[in-house]
Amino acid sequence: MDVHRSACLSLIVVLLASSSFPEEYKFDLAEIEKKPYDIGGYAELRPSVSLQDVNAAFYKLRYFDHEQRTLLEDYNGKLQLEGSYEIGPARLFVRTNADLRYSHLGWEHGEAERMIHEGYVLLRSSDSLHFKVGKQTLLWGKGYAFNPVAFVGRPKDPGDPDLALEGFYAASADLIMSCGGPLKTVAVTPVVFPVFAHVNDDFGKAGRVNFAGKIYFLLFDTDIDLIGFAGGSRTSRFGIDFSRNIQPNFEIHGEVALIGHHVTKAIDVFGNVSESQSNATSYLLGIRYLTPWDATIICEYYRNGTGLNRHEMNDYYMLIDKGHDLFLATGDSSLLDKAADFSEGNYGRVNPMTDYLYLRITQKEPWNILYFTPAVAGMMNLNDKSLSITPELLYAGITNLELRLRAAALVGRNGSDYGERPNDFRVELRMRCYF
Amino acid sequence: MSKPACLFILFFLASPSFAVDGAQLLKQIDRNLNPDSYEMYRKIFNVDPDGKKKEYTLFSAKKGRDKIAAVFLAPASDKGRTTLRLGDNMWLYIPNVGKPIRITSLQSVIGGVFNNSDIMQLDYSEEYDVEQVEDAGNEHLLHLKARTKSVAYDRLKMSVDKSGKIPTKIECRTEADMLIKTLHFKEIKDFGGGIVRPSVMETDSPLYQGYKSIMIFANIKKRDFKDEVFTLTFMPNIESLRK
Repeated sequence: MDVHRSACLSLIVVLLASSSFPEEYKFDLAEIEKKPYDIGGYAELRPSVSLQDVNAAFYKLRYFDHEQRTLLEDYNGKLQLEGSYEIGPARLFVRTNADLRYSHLGWEHGEAERMIHEGYVLLRSSDSLHFKVGKQTLLWGKGYAFNPVAFVGRPKDPGDPDLALEGFYAASADLIMSCGGPLKTVAVTPVVFPVFAHVNDDFGKAGRVNFAGKIYFLLFDTDIDLIGFAGGSRTSRFGIDFSRNIQPNFEIHGEVALIGHHVTKAIDVFGNVSESQSNATSYLLGIRYLTPWDATIICEYYRNGTGLNRHEMNDYYMLIDKGHDLFLATGDSSLLDKAADFSEGNYGRVNPMTDYLYLRITQKEPWNILYFTPAVAGMMNLNDKSLSITPELLYAGITNLELRLRAAALVGRNGSDYGERPNDFRVELRMRCYF
Repeated sequence: MSKPACLFILFFLASPSFAVDGAQLLKQIDRNLNPDSYEMYRKIFNVDPDGKKKEYTLFSAKKGRDKIAAVFLAPASDKGRTTLRLGDNMWLYIPNVGKPIRITSLQSVIGGVFNNSDIMQLDYSEEYDVEQVEDAGNEHLLHLKARTKSVAYDRLKMSVDKSGKIPTKIECRTEADMLIKTLHFKEIKDFGGGIVRPSVMETDSPLYQGYKSIMIFANIKKRDFKDEVFTLTFMPNIESLRK
């Protein structure tokens, strides 16, 4: 800095030292003092009312031994706590999640052994090499609502893709390299993923140590991941994803997953079980577009290569109907019990069939109402043309309080994906308080 | 006066030493605002017309011409939210979502008058060409034009204090010259290490009548970072850079 400028600025500093910048806008440096520990989280209340379709297959399956109710109220509570402690290059992090629900069925709560969603030790060897051991979420893929390449993650709820997910026990590392030229970054993430009794035993076959990995490239301003999984708890699979801004306000992304020797278990209308094995390809293609009037449009097409076809789903719905009739006539629930077992597998997935289209439009602060964000999301099953429509209003104008009013309407004829789900219509208010 | 003497005076007056080199001036302004690589803390106040305010605190790290990252430290609802910018590429990491997503410079990661570009500002000379420099008494008035369509504001009108070579006001305009917002630079402060610059940036916008945003700068320090810090994989760990 030259002497002249220095002298001028010193004079300005002295002159302005007594200026009257409002006291209420001061920055207290104590606020940014770094502490070794950190605690936070949120508490949430979510009352809802839903209009039930008592003739839908999944209503019959869930409530066959309860009194029929068209209108259901439930009250959900959630407490998410996070804490971390740092000692030198090591950081211990824990995130817990507790759910409590009250409905006509009484009080229900989440499983105690699954309360810890994440709990790991992170060791930073340098800025370019990290190790992480413990329960962790490995959210791979570029899709917003779906991630077919998330081989070691739990499936998202496309109705609420931003919800934190429970992790799995694993050991992972991140090795990051920055380069010059069109290839700006390379990052390698190897993962060791054990599956034993009481350790990730809901993932797949127990008694195996699996290996997964991701190699990330930032090449020609495009994010690219190569992803693999092998080890025996699930069949070997390979995937690739990408994301790129083709215009400043227009992003495209995609994922492809190749799944070897996938086994599909199906159940027919008589309750007979069959298994078939084939290679499957799942993929996703999506866009994110910001309009000149500040609306963000996300649109994704998802091809679920491991999904069930219409014939298989129709057989399943007919099995439930048959089982329900049998139960009403004789009190025998064996067919429904059999169907319920399958609802925990392919048939009960959020997107059990093969082709889905997702669309979400979010308008930021319309009519210049700050912190107010209305949105509408739609999901269509392209195989049977049934759909769900979810409008919502979000307000976050009060510090650390978020209010979301959301409705969901499911539209579809009998025998269709959304037509056979227990709800026809649902309204919920979510009040979330962060601390 | 003799003819050769007149020619000499004319030649002297026309000499480039009297013209302002806009590009050079803009680079000087950039360096006066921030070192080439640095860390800093910022606090943003979004103020509603009724006086109600919402506060955000950020830590930022910048390296060279085109790398900047910022993590929110407060409020609790936004804590851990991290943005990364590498040239025209911009990403947002939300801890609950657990992975970075691509965003644009025009979006806002928080509500209010500031957008991503204001929070993730690169050097002005990196994004703008100087079209014209006007003399406005004690100030220069720089007319800047964005080099690419990916820049949030197509045109800037930057008023610059002649003696300190620091901006006092920037009008952000569209290609059609519509005013989007005005940034007012206030409260010159000595941050140490030779960094003397405005410590407050106030923003108002005709699009948000009655609202304003105030950004206060603190602890601006020269600091070198490894390139690996400015990567997607490192985004969840940006807060670990704080000392």
